[in-house]
Amino acid sequence: MVNFTVEQIRVLMDKVTNIRNMSVIAHVDHGKSTLTDSLVAKAGIIKSSTAGEARFTDTRADEQERGITIKSTAISMYFELNDDQMEDIKDKSGGNGFLINLIDSPGHVDFSSEVTAALRVTDGALVVVDTISGVSVQTETVLRQALTEMIKPVVMINKVDRAMLERQLPKEELYQNFRRVVEDVNVNISTFQSENIMGDLQVYPEQGTVAFGSGLHAWGFTLRQFAVIYAKKMGVDRNKIMNKMWGDNFFNAKTKKWSTKSTDPTGKSEDRAFNMFALDPIYRIFDATMHERKDEAFALAEKLQIAVTSEERDLNGKPLLKVLMRKFLPAAEALMEMICIHLPSPAVAQKYRCDGLYEGPLDDVCAQGIRNCDPKGPLMLYVSKMVPTSDKGRFYAFGRVFSGTAASGQKVRIQGPGYVPGTKKELFVKTIQRTVLMMGRAVESIEDCPAGNIIGLVGVDQFLQKSGTLTTEETAHNMKVMKFSVSPVVRVAVEVKNQQDLPKLVEGLKRLSKSDPCVLVMTSDTGEHIVAGAGELHLEICLKDLEEDHAQVPIRSSLPVVEYRETVREESYDFALSKSPNKHNRIYMKAQPLGEDLTRALEEGVITSRDDVKERARVLADEHGWDVNDARKIWAFDPETATTNLLVDTTKAVQYLNEIKEHCVSGFQWASTTGPCADEKLRGCRFNITDVSLHADSIHRGAGQIMPACRRAIYASVLMAQPTLQEPIYLVEIQCPESAMGGVYSVLNRRRGEVIDEQLRPGTTQMTIKAYLPVNESFGFVTELRAGTSGQAFPQSVFDHWSLMNGSALEPGKVADIVKEIRVRKGMSEQMHGLDHYYDKL
Amino acid sequence: MKVVALIRPRADRAVAPAHFSGGKDSTYNMMKCVEHGHEIAALAHAHPPHSADKEELDSFLFQTVGSSAVHAIAECMELPFYYREIRGTAVTQALDYTLTEDDETEDLFALLAEVKEHHPDVGGVSVGAIFSSYQGNRVQHVCDRLGLTMLPYLWHRDQTELLQEMVSDGVNAILIKVAALGLGRGDLGQTLGQMAPKLLALHEKYGIHPCGEGGEFESFTLDCPLFKKRIVIDESQVVTHSDDDVAPVLYLSIKKVHVEPK
Repeated sequence: MVNFTVEQIRVLMDKVTNIRNMSVIAHVDHGKSTLTDSLVAKAGIIKSSTAGEARFTDTRADEQERGITIKSTAISMYFELNDDQMEDIKDKSGGNGFLINLIDSPGHVDFSSEVTAALRVTDGALVVVDTISGVSVQTETVLRQALTEMIKPVVMINKVDRAMLERQLPKEELYQNFRRVVEDVNVNISTFQSENIMGDLQVYPEQGTVAFGSGLHAWGFTLRQFAVIYAKKMGVDRNKIMNKMWGDNFFNAKTKKWSTKSTDPTGKSEDRAFNMFALDPIYRIFDATMHERKDEAFALAEKLQIAVTSEERDLNGKPLLKVLMRKFLPAAEALMEMICIHLPSPAVAQKYRCDGLYEGPLDDVCAQGIRNCDPKGPLMLYVSKMVPTSDKGRFYAFGRVFSGTAASGQKVRIQGPGYVPGTKKELFVKTIQRTVLMMGRAVESIEDCPAGNIIGLVGVDQFLQKSGTLTTEETAHNMKVMKFSVSPVVRVAVEVKNQQDLPKLVEGLKRLSKSDPCVLVMTSDTGEHIVAGAGELHLEICLKDLEEDHAQVPIRSSLPVVEYRETVREESYDFALSKSPNKHNRIYMKAQPLGEDLTRALEEGVITSRDDVKERARVLADEHGWDVNDARKIWAFDPETATTNLLVDTTKAVQYLNEIKEHCVSGFQWASTTGPCADEKLRGCRFNITDVSLHADSIHRGAGQIMPACRRAIYASVLMAQPTLQEPIYLVEIQCPESAMGGVYSVLNRRRGEVIDEQLRPGTTQMTIKAYLPVNESFGFVTELRAGTSGQAFPQSVFDHWSLMNGSALEPGKVADIVKEIRVRKGMSEQMHGLDHYYDKL
Repeated sequence: MKVVALIRPRADRAVAPAHFSGGKDSTYNMMKCVEHGHEIAALAHAHPPHSADKEELDSFLFQTVGSSAVHAIAECMELPFYYREIRGTAVTQALDYTLTEDDETEDLFALLAEVKEHHPDVGGVSVGAIFSSYQGNRVQHVCDRLGLTMLPYLWHRDQTELLQEMVSDGVNAILIKVAALGLGRGDLGQTLGQMAPKLLALHEKYGIHPCGEGGEFESFTLDCPLFKKRIVIDESQVVTHSDDDVAPVLYLSIKKVHVEPK
């Protein structure tokens, strides 16, 4: 146990090669926080004995109550490796002491925006997977997020104690179980892994990038631990034996021979090396302690060089098992070792992460500072989230210094996500009041913080919405905005119970928006206050926070409603013509669907506005059937990142066209955010400007004329192209016993759910059902499902895709009904405007 | 805008105006002419045909909204008033003008020719154009043919500055037409002074021209230092020219006015 002071940490912060910034990510309930506790225990912040029960990182009362993590929490820890372990670190390091900045993040999908914010400031991730339930939907989501942020993963297969005690799995079956989990993880990694600048990111137990153990019992191991023991015993090379300890390698204890077949030449079955070397001692301890054969257990302990105190000798059963296992294979030791050896230091990571992190030119001083993780470079600090302070309404800006050094009293440029270099948009020049280390519940002031470290800032919260870039360099561009895997698709309207509390609500909403990376807070045209979140649970927590912490006044909320997207079903049947207000400029427009494939490619950033024009045109032509000439004349992508709509110039030889481009783009962007049917965002639409006729004098074709004309033309073209809606769909993963399937199916049926996959988990009667469920039908789904299956089914929903609805907004039917409903809710006229409202006669 | 005040050369101090729309720019340019020692001899105005069902012709050259009340301005200034119906349209829409039959520019020519006939001593035309080369070119073309000098004192002035100057120099004009992003029904009938902050804000936000030079709005002058009386609108009606959620085109149809002593 190491007790460290802030001064000691500060010294470590300078040794950038010995820092590991990492997050713990996993599916909900796979045991992240519990595991984190055992790590924290090791670093000397809480006492070892309470590890496993205290949930140090769950600082909120509701987190403790619900037993889930809601907000991510950061802790700094210190760990020393021995010289042996140091040999295995490939990159240069300065000394044996390591500073580990760990962020525990929530596992529930509704809070995965917290995960994104955590990943941004870390370089490595410990992915925790439950042995029994295996790789689940959220494991996949967080892995994908980690890989897109260029975070290197290592894996901890958790809850092994349950597999052994509750499920009584024999060794070989447990091995097969492990193998399956590792394979599943690797399948996901190879799917999501983008450009290979980081090398092979798959995990291999034989290389020590997979740990096994029990967070609850605080024991765990990687093959390295056993390899060290046996290497000494057998006098062979550690790495050689480690390689042999996974996969189809078998050892004959009598002949002392290795083979790759499970039977020896005489047909006798041989023991798999993993089972024999790693699992056998563990099984023996379990067996001896759980069957009350204490003498045998203590004999074993002695053989394994586990020192047992006299008090511990009095223990029985599980407590004894815990003690022995914890002493034999301390989880923290194994995990810390794995983290230090296999996860990259900021110095290493920022070399390859720089390109993905910085928006500006990749050869300017800032990019160089980031790439070299240079504490003397210009300050580049990314604030990824806001953490509420004990001082009501104020926040710590939580982020990471990528270049330069952040110090108390330093004057910095605070650049919001909308900052445009060279302008004053979303720019503030202010002083950092204080820099602090964030350690779970506590914060410690620190004088300054060099590149590569995670830090909290006091005094900049008023100038940032949720996230942003802090720099000292005037020419600095922004760090890239984080891409969230969840969208705020569910919204409620909130109001105060007592009218005089309204100002408090407004203030509270501002704070709520700040404290959560994903929540959207807005005021509709009718003055309604809207809170939008990722799902029912997320909204519930947000509203609770709003009522109890941020506003502290009684509030009422409407039933949750769903966001829709407007789109077109076919190409406009004619050219839509709109004139500018002065009637001297005309724009002709046609709308057509982009197609789901292309829309997704755009949304996921496969095709982006920043691609080389010619290469992009090639892809559009080859893969999406575009005319190459059109593909080269894409005027605008909206939104800039995660694009859903395109504006294309398909005119032929029009005079002055380029002069109005900017105004058309503005009109297009505007129209994209508020569609003509229900004021919802447009998605999956391509707009072709087919012709324009313009006033000869530029003064008569300014922004004030062209912008509204372009917007009108887009609306008219949408109405001429079978406008309809897309509704958000969740992917629901439901775990339940076979016997409860009937209940699951009937609940899904009632809610327009569509089962896409069902699988029996090998060796169990547990089913995993995957289904699509319209978000609109998801309210109360969890409760109904529990009731319908006597509480045996556990669903996890994550936003998956937008689904095109049947019918058109112009004909009576479901779509038209929804449109009407939204319009009424938004305080608009019940009827949509007709085409003649936007279409101008020549 | 589109103001033409026919003017005698400075030497003998006699002046005549023409092509007067009643808008703030026409008025303010006349004030500038006087400031520079010219004398306004008459007002000339082109109006929409009585047969037209709408006051707004969407002409490229003339301001037609408010036309019905322009005569009152002549009354306030106690000047002769010449008017002519607009019969042509914008046949030539290129930036430069070449003589074209049935073009609305020819209506202007005919109008100014008539004024010149009655006031042979007139030497110049007061023009309120600020930035529109399209309009400037056409008036120039007409002036050249009539041997008149164009006097556009507002030409290429900074619009933000100009707007504030007009307000402080006592041009009391109201908005009678809006046709731009951000302007709406509530803005009709507002005075320039009242609108100035909003116009400047919209200039920042959407790049609209603060003096409405791109056709964003049109105005009508009720009073200015040159007026001997002032105009009072007794009856008017808002007409929707084309509807839109964000940039509706609306104008104030002036039904009845009277002048009163100052």
